[in-house]
Amino acid sequence: MTEARKNSLTDKLVIIVWIIALIIVWEIGASVVEKTKRSPQNVLPHLSQIVESVFSDKMVSNKQTAFQIVITNAGITLLRAGIGFLYGAGAGFLLALAMHRFITVEKATFPYLMMIQMIPILGMAPIVLAITQDINKSRIIIAAILTFYPVATNMLDGLKSVEKEKYDLMRSLAASNWNIYTKLLIPTSIPYIFSGLKIAAPMAITASILVDTLQGGAGLGTMLSQSLKHAMSIYVFWQIVFFSATVGILSYKLMSFAEKIFSPHERAKGAR
Amino acid sequence: MDKHNRSRLSSVVLPLLLGLAVIILWQSQLLHRMIDADTFTLPLPGRIFNIIVENIGKILINMKATVTVALGGLLMGSLLGYLLAIIASAFPKWGTGGLAVVSSFNAIPIIAIAPILNNLTKDFSRDPNVRSMLAKTLVVMITCTVSMSVNAYRGFTELKPFSEDLMKSFAASKGTIFLKLKVPNSVPYIFTALRVSVPASVISAMVSEYFAEYIIGVGRQIRENIVLAQYATAWAYIVAAIVIGVTMYLILLAVERASMKGRP
Amino acid sequence: MKNLNKSVFLLVLLLTVVSSVFAGGESETVEEFSYYAADASVESILTDAATKGQVGNWGLGNEYEVLALLTKYDLPTSYLSQAFDMDGFDDDSILLASAMTYNELGLVKNSYDGGYGYGEDVSFIDMNDEGVAMLEDNLFTKAEFAAENPETVKAFIYASMKGWEYACANPEEAAEIVFNYGSSVSPEHQAYMAGEVKKLVETDTEGNTVTSYGEIDEDAMAQTLSLAKTYIKLEDSVAAKALEAMELDDIRDSSYWEEAMASEGSFDVEKADVSVQLKWLPQAQFMGYYVALDKGYYDEVGLNVTIIPGGGDIGETTAVYTGQVDFGVTWVSNLIAAKAAGMDLLEIAQVYQRSGLVLVYKTE
Repeated sequence: MTEARKNSLTDKLVIIVWIIALIIVWEIGASVVEKTKRSPQNVLPHLSQIVESVFSDKMVSNKQTAFQIVITNAGITLLRAGIGFLYGAGAGFLLALAMHRFITVEKATFPYLMMIQMIPILGMAPIVLAITQDINKSRIIIAAILTFYPVATNMLDGLKSVEKEKYDLMRSLAASNWNIYTKLLIPTSIPYIFSGLKIAAPMAITASILVDTLQGGAGLGTMLSQSLKHAMSIYVFWQIVFFSATVGILSYKLMSFAEKIFSPHERAKGAR
Repeated sequence: MDKHNRSRLSSVVLPLLLGLAVIILWQSQLLHRMIDADTFTLPLPGRIFNIIVENIGKILINMKATVTVALGGLLMGSLLGYLLAIIASAFPKWGTGGLAVVSSFNAIPIIAIAPILNNLTKDFSRDPNVRSMLAKTLVVMITCTVSMSVNAYRGFTELKPFSEDLMKSFAASKGTIFLKLKVPNSVPYIFTALRVSVPASVISAMVSEYFAEYIIGVGRQIRENIVLAQYATAWAYIVAAIVIGVTMYLILLAVERASMKGRP
Repeated sequence: MKNLNKSVFLLVLLLTVVSSVFAGGESETVEEFSYYAADASVESILTDAATKGQVGNWGLGNEYEVLALLTKYDLPTSYLSQAFDMDGFDDDSILLASAMTYNELGLVKNSYDGGYGYGEDVSFIDMNDEGVAMLEDNLFTKAEFAAENPETVKAFIYASMKGWEYACANPEEAAEIVFNYGSSVSPEHQAYMAGEVKKLVETDTEGNTVTSYGEIDEDAMAQTLSLAKTYIKLEDSVAAKALEAMELDDIRDSSYWEEAMASEGSFDVEKADVSVQLKWLPQAQFMGYYVALDKGYYDEVGLNVTIIPGGGDIGETTAVYTGQVDFGVTWVSNLIAAKAAGMDLLEIAQVYQRSGLVLVYKTE
């Protein structure tokens, strides 16, 4: 066995041990809650109860089990998150280019980018809604607004990290703007874009769940609040908690995976 | 020097000009025509300003509640995150794995964490204001812990090449290496973490207010007013939220600049 | 190996800390509760809960009746923010909790999935009995839309009320119809809800039986508006003035309902494709509309109706006002607040004839 493989194996073992530790902590908490609370499943159920509810074939609502509800609604929410993420990442990319190309744009807009992030979704939503006249479009746009900031700022850092010597060299060789961007500036900023994307991906999912609750209908967020209202099994809520955490982590992993594909030369550095 | 000053001036003047232009477009309702909005969902700045002036006392009380939660959570989360990073760097093999598990907490949506914590903190105090305060602060703490622990850990491990070996060769103790080398090295990383967690702390403080037992805070007021279709008042509180976020961020930048002075 | 020892030590340390924190919480949970005697007076119960600061309500525009009730008995008008659920009532942090008869009250009493199973160990204070009732689920549209499409409005009222009439005559079937339209409520709770909603639609605030579905009861509306003027506190002085000056004629127009009910049921509709925005997710609270859709009553009057579930923070008032939907179901107090803020909305029918809000408490 090579040294590297052995290391990655122990890394995995370490994570497993940590997860077990977390499970133990959760279960201690659940046992205490079970003894002291009247409705322990609302406060902190045992993990086994949550797992059981996943496989239970009891119809919780409209001919669906708890898990079916989570899955069908997750499809709706994740689709919105995905589209919003793509728009947001695209907008962030373009904005970073514009800010890099025109210093005026950067100086004038940068403080406002921060401020937009400060506007709570609920404040932004009615305006977006009034403009688009369509709640689903609004949800996508809001997910996009929340994700473009990390992409834009990280990519701008990347563009700025290009060594001046290289840039000057290409200029002196009379390279076209197009060439400078495609051959030098954008490739250099790829790792930065990906660190932005890695932050943005879980954010898009969180945002998408939050905007579900704006005008009801379907989606994980709506089911989450409906379950919290006890209109249906509380285990739908617990399943959504675990489901959203898992999908959030997977979205991060997906971005790391994409990073490896898009920047093969980074692979040697990345694999430690 | 002259050039430097001019560049600093332009980074103040340009955003101000843009802001002024937007406000003029907004007040003159040209903005509404451009994006096809009405003065109802996007109330005029003059009306928002009037509401702020008329209700400044109530707005300040709500701002105070939000700032307390955001700062408290930020402080607790950052300290905890730094502590976790110290522990992790002392046991690197187990630490990195632990940090990976901790970072996964960030993927759980705040709207799922907030109700859980509300229920878990019920026994903390008989005063609902106090126990909601705790629940809200804990939500903010969780959102701030991760970025600090991950960044500070990088600060402890990404040292200048051979610097640790050099210190070891001088027979420096582990404690000395930590205090003299690792802690100073982590300072810029702390600020990287804070630049993420300061805005995040304000946002998560406001979201946690939606679910809190005790009705107070800027975020809660925004929600109450939107539900009642009082958009102009909601905007007054949105302005308050932006003021909180921007002020905290500016303070952070000032502290960062001051502490970076004299460093290479 | 050395690392392994350290980490085991760390783990143990972590576990001890966590478990001691939880154990600490345990010892604090011992509290004394005061439940109320079954024959205790409303005043004594309210006084006890209010002075302890343990009256609960959801806020967000649902609190006015509770404030009016507390004021009636000269009690402090602060209340705890009740969560989506009844956990606060369950764990005694709220002694007197707000509940809708058709929803939370059923969850508290019944023991089906999501229920708390208190059965007959709870009792409640009814807002109607106390004279502080405000009207809830109505039917409204934009004033401009009503003026331009009078026949459409009448057709929609006619078919919807036919749906309500059928639903109230057959609540079990109505519950099943709603369930099939994508309800997110358990079937048992749905059936309970249908039975309770029937009572709200067919009884007025005085307890008299109502047979004309959707009629706008002038006295109850006047009481709702008067309470709204007293208890809706608006920070925006422009909106506050508008509320102050508001009259019944500004918020409702009974003529559409009267003409619809007097008609033979055939209309020359101006707009055939219309949508209605509910206040919440599909549930028996809105059974009349689902029955009208399912039984083809909307088709009969020449309408193609889309029912849009609600359930979020952007209210149905905003959805109707911005023109995304044509009709909406909301509470009269929400309509009044939106009207004060400048939305030109109009109530065209009043489906719920009495308040569904109660304050529930545990009995000894």
